[in-house]
Amino acid sequence: MKIGFIGLGIMGRPMALNLIKGGHEVSVWARRAESMQPLVAAGARAALDPADAAKGNELVISMVADAPDVAEVMRGVARGAEPGLVAVDMSTIAPGAARRIGEELATAGIDFVDAPVSGGEVGAVAGTLSIMAGGSEAGFAKAGPAFACMGKNIIHVGASGAGQVAKAANQIMTGMGVLAVAEALAFAAKNGVDGGKVREALLGGFAYSRILENHGQRMLDRNFKPGFKSWMHEKDLNIVMQTAHELGLCLPGSAATAQMFNAMVGSGHGEEDSIAVLKLLEKLSGQSS
Amino acid sequence: MKIGFIGLGVMGRPMALHLQRAGHELFVWARRPASVGDLPATVCATPAELGRHCEVVFTMVTSSADVEGVVLGEQGLIAGMARDSVVVDCSTIAPDVARRIAAKLGEQGIHMLDAPVSGGAQGAIDATLAIMAGGEAAVLERVRPLLECLGQRIVHIGPNGAGQVAKACNQMIMVAAIQAAAEAMRLAAASGVDCGKVREALAGGSAASRVLDVMGDRMVRRDFAAGIEARLHHKDFGLVLEAARQSGVPLPLAAVVGQQLNALMAQDWGRDDTASLLRVLELL
Repeated sequence: MKIGFIGLGIMGRPMALNLIKGGHEVSVWARRAESMQPLVAAGARAALDPADAAKGNELVISMVADAPDVAEVMRGVARGAEPGLVAVDMSTIAPGAARRIGEELATAGIDFVDAPVSGGEVGAVAGTLSIMAGGSEAGFAKAGPAFACMGKNIIHVGASGAGQVAKAANQIMTGMGVLAVAEALAFAAKNGVDGGKVREALLGGFAYSRILENHGQRMLDRNFKPGFKSWMHEKDLNIVMQTAHELGLCLPGSAATAQMFNAMVGSGHGEEDSIAVLKLLEKLSGQSS
Repeated sequence: MKIGFIGLGVMGRPMALHLQRAGHELFVWARRPASVGDLPATVCATPAELGRHCEVVFTMVTSSADVEGVVLGEQGLIAGMARDSVVVDCSTIAPDVARRIAAKLGEQGIHMLDAPVSGGAQGAIDATLAIMAGGEAAVLERVRPLLECLGQRIVHIGPNGAGQVAKACNQMIMVAAIQAAAEAMRLAAASGVDCGKVREALAGGSAASRVLDVMGDRMVRRDFAAGIEARLHHKDFGLVLEAARQSGVPLPLAAVVGQQLNALMAQDWGRDDTASLLRVLELL
């Protein structure tokens, strides 16, 4: 299939590479021209702008930072689109923003699918991302062969915006999950108990989670390299809290967690992995690290 | 002086009237012309037209978007006001939006003060509002005689946006205090103790506050009819938590109170008084 791919960051680059490996004919565009080079070397065509990335293609995929970026590139895509184009955004943005972008593109005759992912850089490279999609059946079906190159657990969640709702729910779970593991390990340490043994014991029971397994180990190793940067988790939790505010939805746990992530960014841990929240707990409780 | 006033709600109307009674000529614009009623004022067709007549224009509307529309919109004040005239925005909006509007007006040589108020409808009627101003000191001095028609305590906080920061702090303390009063009333009732007596005793001690006095009394009487509608506090908490996020500052208590307000909105109590936070506690 002929596919345009916009946004070649940590996630976008390996995702686009997997499309090329899957035998698709890919045009790429990124704001910084040098980030297109590795893809061109792998056989992609370098597009001039988002409109050019859409031109002649059946599918366009964006993987950028935030809602205003998505809106901007999709306006370009609409200019270059030919009839029947399906546009897919795989960035994490607010469900409301995704619905608005979908409505705008619909007026230009473009079918829009929001399809954020979970699984991080590792999943993007391995082509094992979880993909949660919102949009029409036809749009989801059209994007199917591309999704199959990038991910494993591919779910059509519902109508436009539903993919972003699922992703926000994912960030509630992972945000609170990381904080829960950090609190459990801080609790063990302050009681003079070996956190490694506690983790090992808990892995066999109902507190088992992938976060306890992976993030817990990295906390014990005090390896705060990202992974998933705190400031990005903070951005995602802000989407959750804004949506809860608009809907009149009470989320006390997410609210408390979001404040810890505010503090991460404000105290200079924004570029570290989310697990650096452990350091904030230690500081507040007078624990030396 | 010719003075414009936009936003003739519960707060704006008595404020406009005070200015008129102090001898100023009043011009108004209202989205719904009916809301002007018997106010002794010249009604203008657009904010721009109002701006052409007036040296100082007050705005007292609900949201950041409302202020942006009235000031910067197509037929906004910016299209009519003369150089060196002054916009005084008494609404409660986001500090960064206040700064942006001030900058846009500044490009046209129009001055702006953010001058949000505290004191509620009664404070507006009694002209006893607390006014927290952001903007140039010299501009504040120019309009201070007008502000003195509206309130007693007028404090220059700092540059544009600083007034809104102070107001955000005000709302945070006040609504957290309402939540604290609600929790105290809930604990007293759940313990089988007379809430009215508890409130009465506390009013004489270290926990005494205006919130306990006014909102506590409403809770005891279970009178949830609005003084200030809770939906406005809910809106303000959105601003507070967004400002906290932008500054990278954790506000754990404000975050929890914000969730209680979300629950209040979900019960459709947004047009009731914020004393309804007691009823949210009673849901669980």
